Amino acid sequence: MKRWTKLVVGAAAVALATAGCGSGGGSSDAGGKTLTVWLMSGSAPTSLTDALNKEFSDAHPGVKVDYRVQQWDGIQQKLTTALTSNNPPDVIELGNTQTAQFAEQGTLLDLSDSVNDLNGGQWLPALKESGTWDGKQYAMPFYAANRTVIYRKDLFAKAGITAPPASNAEWLADIDKLKAANATDPDFQALYLPGQEWYTLLSFIWDAGGDVAKQSGKSWQATLEAPEAKAGVAFYQQLVNASGTRAPKDTDEAKPQQSDVFAQGHVAMMIGLPWELAGAVKANPQLSSQTGAFPIPSRTAGQAAPVFLGGSNVAIPAGSKNADLAKQYLKLLSGAKYQSQLARAGSVPGTSTDTSGLDATEVGAAMARAARHGKVTPITPKWGPIESGENPLKSMLTAVLTGQKSIDAATADANRAIGQALSG
Amino acid sequence: MSKKITISVVALLVAVVFAFPTYWMVATALKPSQLLLSSGYDLVPTAVTGRHFADAVAKPNFLTYVRNSLVVTLGAVLCALVAGLLAAVPLARLRFRGRRGFLLLLLVAQMAPFEALLIPMYLMMRDLDLLNRLPSLVLVYFATTLPFTAWTLRGFILGLPADLEEAAMVDGCGRWGAFRRVTLPLLGPGLVATSVFGFITAWNEFLYALVFMQDENRFTLPVWLSSFQSVFGTDWGGTMAASTLFTVPVLIFFLVVQRNLVSGMTAGAVKG
Amino acid sequence: MTATENPPIVTPVPARPAVARRHRRPGVAALPYLLLAPATLTLLVLLGWPVLSVLLTSFRRLDLRELVQGKVVWVGLDNYRAVLGDPTFWTVTLRTLAFTAACVIATVVGGLAVAVLMRHVGRAVRTVLQVSLVLAWAMPFLAATTVFQWMFDQNYGILDKTLVRLGLTSFAGHSWFTTGFSTLAVIVTLITWQGIPFVAFTLFAGMLGVPAEQYEAAAIDGASGWQTFRAVTWPAVRPLVTLVTFLSLLWDFKVFPQVWAMREGGPDGGSTTLAVLQYVKGIAGSHFGVAAAVAVLMILVLVGLTAQNLRLMLRAQEYR
Repeated sequence: MKRWTKLVVGAAAVALATAGCGSGGGSSDAGGKTLTVWLMSGSAPTSLTDALNKEFSDAHPGVKVDYRVQQWDGIQQKLTTALTSNNPPDVIELGNTQTAQFAEQGTLLDLSDSVNDLNGGQWLPALKESGTWDGKQYAMPFYAANRTVIYRKDLFAKAGITAPPASNAEWLADIDKLKAANATDPDFQALYLPGQEWYTLLSFIWDAGGDVAKQSGKSWQATLEAPEAKAGVAFYQQLVNASGTRAPKDTDEAKPQQSDVFAQGHVAMMIGLPWELAGAVKANPQLSSQTGAFPIPSRTAGQAAPVFLGGSNVAIPAGSKNADLAKQYLKLLSGAKYQSQLARAGSVPGTSTDTSGLDATEVGAAMARAARHGKVTPITPKWGPIESGENPLKSMLTAVLTGQKSIDAATADANRAIGQALSG
Repeated sequence: MSKKITISVVALLVAVVFAFPTYWMVATALKPSQLLLSSGYDLVPTAVTGRHFADAVAKPNFLTYVRNSLVVTLGAVLCALVAGLLAAVPLARLRFRGRRGFLLLLLVAQMAPFEALLIPMYLMMRDLDLLNRLPSLVLVYFATTLPFTAWTLRGFILGLPADLEEAAMVDGCGRWGAFRRVTLPLLGPGLVATSVFGFITAWNEFLYALVFMQDENRFTLPVWLSSFQSVFGTDWGGTMAASTLFTVPVLIFFLVVQRNLVSGMTAGAVKG
Repeated sequence: MTATENPPIVTPVPARPAVARRHRRPGVAALPYLLLAPATLTLLVLLGWPVLSVLLTSFRRLDLRELVQGKVVWVGLDNYRAVLGDPTFWTVTLRTLAFTAACVIATVVGGLAVAVLMRHVGRAVRTVLQVSLVLAWAMPFLAATTVFQWMFDQNYGILDKTLVRLGLTSFAGHSWFTTGFSTLAVIVTLITWQGIPFVAFTLFAGMLGVPAEQYEAAAIDGASGWQTFRAVTWPAVRPLVTLVTFLSLLWDFKVFPQVWAMREGGPDGGSTTLAVLQYVKGIAGSHFGVAAAVAVLMILVLVGLTAQNLRLMLRAQEYR
């Protein structure tokens, strides 16, 4: 603990020292400064970033915004190495489960004093939390997205279902109706649910009152062996069995892409993100008028299950030579103007509670409704590697669904693996 | 005669097995998106579209990436062939102190996992101020293909009967003349095999190209290829079309060197 | 002065370098060093230094913080303790060895067979075969791994569908990735498929270097195909076979992208190799010291594995 604070102080000192010599090193010709901004591919529409960058350079004469879109593939290495360079980027986007790792390592600038400046009162709580480390704020929420159940209205009508299910029990009953109404289609699947869609599993575990791990003081304990967590796993299994999904039990929704499967037209429901629907519609334009969405149902009738809030934060590297300009840039981004554009583009905005832009589409509206119950994975630098490594939750699901292990045995194994990873 | 036919049939079957995944890549690139995953039996696509190819080529900077990839790859191949050949000759034909040490260096240099070298290499390029410049990639690909090139060329030279060279020297050619007129022509196939290896290795490399280059107009084709994947999922039709286009220059390179070297040189070996 | 003026070389003894022994002249002593200089410099600076730096890193704690701030924190053998203390390390090492052996044997034997095939077919068929090999070799990793996953997909894969068509109905919806073993088998197939072209071309090129007279002489002697292979082809390509075996061993032992992309080391860690372990334990969590320790251990295993090979290859260099 003591060592840690020392290092933060050290990091701050280094940051200050490098900030001091900023004008000499990285900034380019004619006394002009360059603000380097790295956002991820697909995060914000080009129309938004173009307008944002223009407004920023107009407001700061002599400052050039060097805006670069980054690919997700290899981003960890790209960021890691870029932060060591003599002239790191000034604004970076970090996945929300990735943020703690960068914050804990003292590589990000402490933004605690700027939160109010950045529209802090309206930050999406779960994202705010993901950018917090040791009581300090190291990142500003950017945008979020969460899963909803995307369904075929025409198939629901054909099965005589008039309203989306309001509880798990209704959901299971609807699955039976859908199966009965489409018994003649050999390729029909009431719900497409791959064996390793662990973000959906999180919903069920949280809905049952459980969690993956809990924090006590500085340490984390895995809690998958609790009855609530097991109940979540059991419901996932029940859903897979009831729906008769032919999705592979040993992959997630990316292999094959579930949107491509949905586009075939023989699937009545999938649990996915808005752009997965967009992908399916692109491949099969007919679907656009036939699809709707509802929040993942809860075991408690009338409620929505908590959902995993995926998304991104934006942060300023500790080594940035233009930290003040970078803060100005974040301030502009956090304002209502660009936040509403984010919502209209189909994301839950990170620094604004106004989600009305999402209501334009049914899937957007359902997502905004569910986002209120948004949660995130344990906020510890140890979590990122669990997710990007061999995720024990995935192995656990496959083992249960293929009958290789009982729920008790599988949760015990996963509990041990996650417990080790969180403490190690 | 029938034996000859049997062998040809076997060879063609092997060719089919090796070409099939490539065929599948091209076929997928030509399929309309909704047929990518089809439960029907579609060994031959049931419908065909050129859209994915058009989309892939229409991505901004495509030609710049092609140029960058060619510069980096050909530069690295050329350097590796020259330095590799220079090293291979003494290793195969001369005796000198330190030979074994160098051979050991060649062998052990190839043992380190490429991923583990990323950070030290990045720091080195940073300190040499070569980041965001294409020569940094030329250097990395040159260095990583050099041990292989030198060692393989040495193997080829060892496989050549030294008697031929000696005969030439007895006939009055100098050492260099003997090398140029006898050994070098016979080395043709070896040079082809190693240059194709170097070309493909450098052409395919993604991680270093991604990390070393910052400006979009300095990216190479593998980075472009990865841009078909995003949080929105992967554009498979686009990826496969792009991969197909990506493969074409390698094929051209192979056909060019194959025609100019293999056939000419084997003839040379017989005619002398 | 031409080769044809030599008497036909009937004895299929591999030619060995003998030039040096006979032609030692003063002034030539510096020649080998001059010729070696560019390669030596390149290797020492561009590969030697990074490798040395990995070795040093394996004794340091090098997480993001240390990396970004340029701090040097020595931790002695901590990284090695962390890696070796993990009970799965040895399982993974054994698995990697078996996996490597399977890849190397399949690649080298397959490549040799294809090379012999190339030698014996007519020009047109050979071109077809060569082009298809280059296509396989040139296919980008991303495309190759994806296409293989599609071909092996349990619902939409062309393989299962074809097997069902051939009457093997039990393969309907068969998953090739339920066990680590069968997942690794698919990966071995992929790597062999990608690796054979290189081996085949190298060995074929080696065979082309054999003067046609040797084959003619063998034919005159009435040697059978197998005898000709044993007597003429094999001695000529043996150094190359040793070479490609050695190289395949190095590459397959370290291979990462294909193994990771297929099932991320799953199911349940069943297809985790040392390269995957390095990624999971080190790089994914930005523990570069740990990653370096795994890398050093991998080099040690490789050296141990190839020590005999190295010694043989180096001893073959001794002049008798």
